[in-house]
Amino acid sequence: MLELVVHRRTAELKGLDADDRATDSGTETDPDEYDNVDSIIDHTTFDQLLDLDDEDHTFTRGLVDRYFDQAKKTFIEMESAIASKNYPELSRLGHFFKGSSAALGLTKIKDSCEKLLQHLGNLKDTVAAKPISLSEDETVIRELLEQMRKEYEQVETFLKLFYDGEQ
Amino acid sequence: MSSASSINSISPPSPPPSPTMSMASINSDISEQPRKIKVMIIDDNAINLTILSRLLNKHFADTIQLTSVMDSGVSALDQLSKDQVDLILMDIDMPVLSGVQTTTAIRSSDNHDILVQNKNVPIIAVTTSDAAEQRELYRQVGMADCVSKPIALPKLRMAIESAMKTIPALSTG
Repeated sequence: MLELVVHRRTAELKGLDADDRATDSGTETDPDEYDNVDSIIDHTTFDQLLDLDDEDHTFTRGLVDRYFDQAKKTFIEMESAIASKNYPELSRLGHFFKGSSAALGLTKIKDSCEKLLQHLGNLKDTVAAKPISLSEDETVIRELLEQMRKEYEQVETFLKLFYDGEQ
Repeated sequence: MSSASSINSISPPSPPPSPTMSMASINSDISEQPRKIKVMIIDDNAINLTILSRLLNKHFADTIQLTSVMDSGVSALDQLSKDQVDLILMDIDMPVLSGVQTTTAIRSSDNHDILVQNKNVPIIAVTTSDAAEQRELYRQVGMADCVSKPIALPKLRMAIESAMKTIPALSTG
């Protein structure tokens, strides 16, 4: 039964009008994004969390709200670390965010954190694995951070609909 | 009071112990009720601590008593100097003292602050840093096992059960 909850909710979200899924930027969310919801959230992990839930989803809703707060704070701190070229601090933040993203089954964000950490570990171009200049480093890091932000926005939209849609 | 009710209220006497049972075995059967294992969890991320606490309290309530929830290796070492635990579930990537450094400090014979009873406590890494070479490092510093994040309940159960086999026979406490 619980295993069906996320899948049923996902199907419901796919059936919503595009207008109901407008983003903050005012543009409509691409309906096809919800066809890729399996790549955003690992259902096995999320279902396991729902199994720990209270009847009214108080527990998981609380976790998700804390994750949203944590994410917003972490992005600000990452920007600051990049600006000051404090890569050890950026690495610490990457590990931190990777951990909670993984715990909630947020696969894409977890993977992006891993890419960032690998890049910081090697300070090489993520694609060609060749030594690059520090300025190129910062460019790659900013690209990875921007990717992470977009993935987070997808997650935030989905989870808000998942919980708020039940009210 | 009727004689029928007084008869019904009388319990038949217990059968005498078998002559083959010793008093020692009878007493040990009564006293050997296994106590719950005392567990400490350590993670710098409060969300992870909340999830793991809930997992343990729901799925391991019969066998585990979650006695310490620590948000750093430093605070864990301080706690381990005061209270005895039977099992530690520890994050790896933590600031100041990583899980590897914390484990090394626990195992170190030079660290006289840790209670002697905690020196060899089984420690299970709970981490996203779970590549083969990292698992080997955890083993080398004295960790018993490594459970990947996100935690899969069956794997956590297997790791805990395996670690529990190394814990000396528990007595009532």
